[in-house]
Amino acid sequence: MNRKFKISTASIAVAATILAACATPPAPGAAPAAPAAPAATTAPAAAAATEAPKATEAPAAASTGAVKITWWHINTQDNGKKAFQAVADEFMKAHPNVKIEITVIENEAFKAKLATNMQSGNPPDIFQSWGGGVLGQYAKAGLVQDLTDAFKVDNFADTIQPGPLGLYTINGKIYGVPWNAGMIGFWYRKDMFKKAGIAEPPATWNDLLVDVKKLKDAKITPIALGEKDKWPGHFYWVYAAVRLGGKAAFDAAYSRQGKFSDAPFVKAGEEIKKLIDLQPFQEGFLGAAYGDHIAAMANGKAAMELMGHWAYGADSGSAKDQALKDYQDNIGWFPFPTMDGMVGDPGDALGGGDGFAIGKNAPPEAIDFVKFFLSKEHQTQMAKAGIAVPPTVKGAEAGLDNPLLKEIQKRAGAAKYFQLYYDQYLPPAVGSLVNDETQKLFAGTTTPEKLAAAIEDAAATELKP
Amino acid sequence: MTKSLSKPLTLGVLLLPPAIVYAGLVIWPMIQAIIFSLYRWNGLGPLQQIVGLGNFSKIVGDEVFRGALSHNLIIIALSLGLQLPISLGLALLVNQKLAGRSVFRTIFFMPFVLSEVITGLIWSFIYLPDGGLINTLGGQLFGMSKVAWLGNISTVLLAIWVVLGWKYFGYHLVLYLTGLQNIPQELHEAALVDGATNGQVIRHITLPLLGPTVRLTIYLAVLGSLQVFDLVWVMTTGGPVNASDTMATYLYRFGFQRFQLGYGSAVALIMFILCFGFSLIYQRYVMRRDLAL
Amino acid sequence: MTKDPQYTPAIRLALTPAITAVLRHAIALLTALVVLIPIAMTVVGGFKTTGDLYVAPLSLPAEWQFAHYTDILAGEAFWRLLRNSLVITLATAVCVVALASMPAFAFSRMQFRGREVLFNFFTLGLIFPASVAILPLYITIRQLGLVDSHLGVILPQVAFGLPGNILVLRSFFSAIPKEIEDAASIDGCSTLGFFWRILLPLVRPALAAVAVLTMVGSWNAFFLPLLVLNSEQLWPLPLGIMQFQGQFGTDWAKVLAFVSLALIPTIIFYLLAERQIISGLTSGAVKG
Repeated sequence: MNRKFKISTASIAVAATILAACATPPAPGAAPAAPAAPAATTAPAAAAATEAPKATEAPAAASTGAVKITWWHINTQDNGKKAFQAVADEFMKAHPNVKIEITVIENEAFKAKLATNMQSGNPPDIFQSWGGGVLGQYAKAGLVQDLTDAFKVDNFADTIQPGPLGLYTINGKIYGVPWNAGMIGFWYRKDMFKKAGIAEPPATWNDLLVDVKKLKDAKITPIALGEKDKWPGHFYWVYAAVRLGGKAAFDAAYSRQGKFSDAPFVKAGEEIKKLIDLQPFQEGFLGAAYGDHIAAMANGKAAMELMGHWAYGADSGSAKDQALKDYQDNIGWFPFPTMDGMVGDPGDALGGGDGFAIGKNAPPEAIDFVKFFLSKEHQTQMAKAGIAVPPTVKGAEAGLDNPLLKEIQKRAGAAKYFQLYYDQYLPPAVGSLVNDETQKLFAGTTTPEKLAAAIEDAAATELKP
Repeated sequence: MTKSLSKPLTLGVLLLPPAIVYAGLVIWPMIQAIIFSLYRWNGLGPLQQIVGLGNFSKIVGDEVFRGALSHNLIIIALSLGLQLPISLGLALLVNQKLAGRSVFRTIFFMPFVLSEVITGLIWSFIYLPDGGLINTLGGQLFGMSKVAWLGNISTVLLAIWVVLGWKYFGYHLVLYLTGLQNIPQELHEAALVDGATNGQVIRHITLPLLGPTVRLTIYLAVLGSLQVFDLVWVMTTGGPVNASDTMATYLYRFGFQRFQLGYGSAVALIMFILCFGFSLIYQRYVMRRDLAL
Repeated sequence: MTKDPQYTPAIRLALTPAITAVLRHAIALLTALVVLIPIAMTVVGGFKTTGDLYVAPLSLPAEWQFAHYTDILAGEAFWRLLRNSLVITLATAVCVVALASMPAFAFSRMQFRGREVLFNFFTLGLIFPASVAILPLYITIRQLGLVDSHLGVILPQVAFGLPGNILVLRSFFSAIPKEIEDAASIDGCSTLGFFWRILLPLVRPALAAVAVLTMVGSWNAFFLPLLVLNSEQLWPLPLGIMQFQGQFGTDWAKVLAFVSLALIPTIIFYLLAERQIISGLTSGAVKG
């Protein structure tokens, strides 16, 4: 049986190669436009059933008949994984003709796998999305479904916090929906601040610089930073730009009516450089991954970190025994300080979260499932379980136990200007460059002007008006 | 008399099955990737923006790429100059009378058996500035001050090469050992009887007879060094600030992560041309006599 | 009075072999240590908590967490991953040995027009980074209907393993003396018969080396299985590491435990293959 299978596939391979060699090389664009074609030629011959052909046949059918939905998510941790499976099981029970197939993939591996699938024109039905520029590129290529109309039904869109939902809205159309969203802020150790003689968390940027000096004098590493991964450091620069330039500067630069080399962006680099020059980070921070950064916070080796809403869970997860207790008893949170000459509102937030997008081949039941997932009951449960923290459905925050997370959620909801991290918001070519260039600022190999200019160059090429 | 197949048929049997698998799954994708390199393309949707050689001129003009290329060359130099001789020396060592010889052989091969990802992870712990093995031992034994091996622009490439050497010396060792097995013992014994020292035997008999294997390992080492990716990526992603970039990490960052597939394919093509050029020259002038029948 | 010539050479002979023997052992031991310590750290690391790993990476665990190892072994996931890895790896190795030895034989021992050209054709794959060809490769795999099947992983691995191994085998095949081949043909053996019945057994060490090197590569392969296989039921061991990795932070201690367990089969492969490599010492082509 096996040998015959091998032989038949080998002959297909021969045939395919000969055909491929003779035919003009198909532009990969042909693949997204006509996904049925490859499926038709291979489905009868291949003994191995594949998911792709089945998915393309599904969309035509309404809710009758068997429906299969592929769902790729990145919640590899047990409690999240189990909770998601439970919601899927619940849905399948209520809709016996629907089968949801879940593939759980780790974050970085997921990005690689998704990219290749997207590029081959074959998106999964439901998948993890962070919104912003990457989702925008998929939308532009027609690989994800426009959910605006589907969300008008039952006013579903109104049940989601507007700020986070905006991250998945491109040119006024909704292409995805978040199930958690929070903002970046400073997580700090109250005991270490006390030891260094700091009475209160800093309200202004200059206060922060003073506090950093006090911590250094007390022989405490002021800030943990895993700059090998680059994105932790880019938070600093972006937040400074959010403060100094506000929504106006960013919108102008993004729409190409302004530039990323305008004054606020350069000044942002100058202010951050003041912090970097104080050498506030742990030893070897340029080579430290985010995991090392987490370990530093978890084990009480640094006094603060500028990090997102997940930090509490991540840090606690890496702390052992006494260190864990010390962490949980003493951790506090304060928002990114105000800056002199700032144009933005002090409540402006930099943040983001996790959400879902729907692949172009997905059946309508996939959207139904997403709405089901984001019901207030489910979200409140998950908020309580520490999975969806903070939740995005209005009212679900009642399930939050942690006062710090409650505060984050409140502020994020109230922010007038909610900016998604640049490395997600901008198209990958620019976003990735922002990360690379800000790392250079931390390494001292670039200047604030050069940094802003480099970003502007990339934006000019990538962001056509 | 056994019936023998005609020569063309024999060649067909021997060459066609591998050729088909190879052409379909290696050559054909390669050709497509070459086509991509002429475009500016984010991988989604059809190929539209043809830029011809535009990608290539951009790459060659990028100082980050030139830096990455220089790092590859440094790794080659270190591999040929240090790693291969060490492997050879150890192979000779293990081939002689040594207590527990097969145990040593197995141990030396073990790093190769680890995946590059795990190797990178373990050595990241070893290189930790605070509490890592190197800094702790260095401090206690030699009074060294702490060095951030992977976070320091001047040490990072060397630190990575050490891990590469650690991982792959066993691979070359196995190849050398296999080659050594092919050298008949009688030759050694005859020479020793004639009064040659061990050293002379090695220099005049073993090494020359090991020549084809040595030339092969050099070939593989150079090609491997030109393409090294996983280990560097896991330990430093080419950083900090491009100090440990190789052409392959450059390709992944600037090509894949930035959704610039045309650009990435162009980098790959450049890598290919370099490897191919080396391969051609090396085979013609160095390995030629190994293959003459 | 002349020195008795008998003594000096005798002492020299007595000292030198002893010293070199000690030196040899010392070097071997030192190298073994350098090799083993990181691996030991991997295995021991699996017994720590992740917090412990960062705080005291070198020392023995504060508390031995046997749970990491036992949980993995007790779960059914690990054995399923192991089975899949075995299937993929063994199939890849067998196919590579078969499909690489054939052209290697042709290139090393047969004369024909276009031999060099064809050989270069085959080695092209060695010098093109597979990661770039991954998108067109994936499209090809999809077109062949091999997505989400083990064959979709095995065939590309075989294909990419051909160039290097053809090269290596060609080198070893050409070392077999022509006299043996001539003798065989006088006895009426066809070329293919010589290949199958005489040459292959002679080069068993080389085949074993190719097999074990291929198996190790396939055992550790992550990216290709990640792309091709959607269902967890088909995943090999490296993909199993993902269950310990969250979006923000990895449970490294569990990863180390998992990896240590995954190491064991590879070492077994090597030990088995090593016997083959050594057995070639006693049998094998004898010159004259």
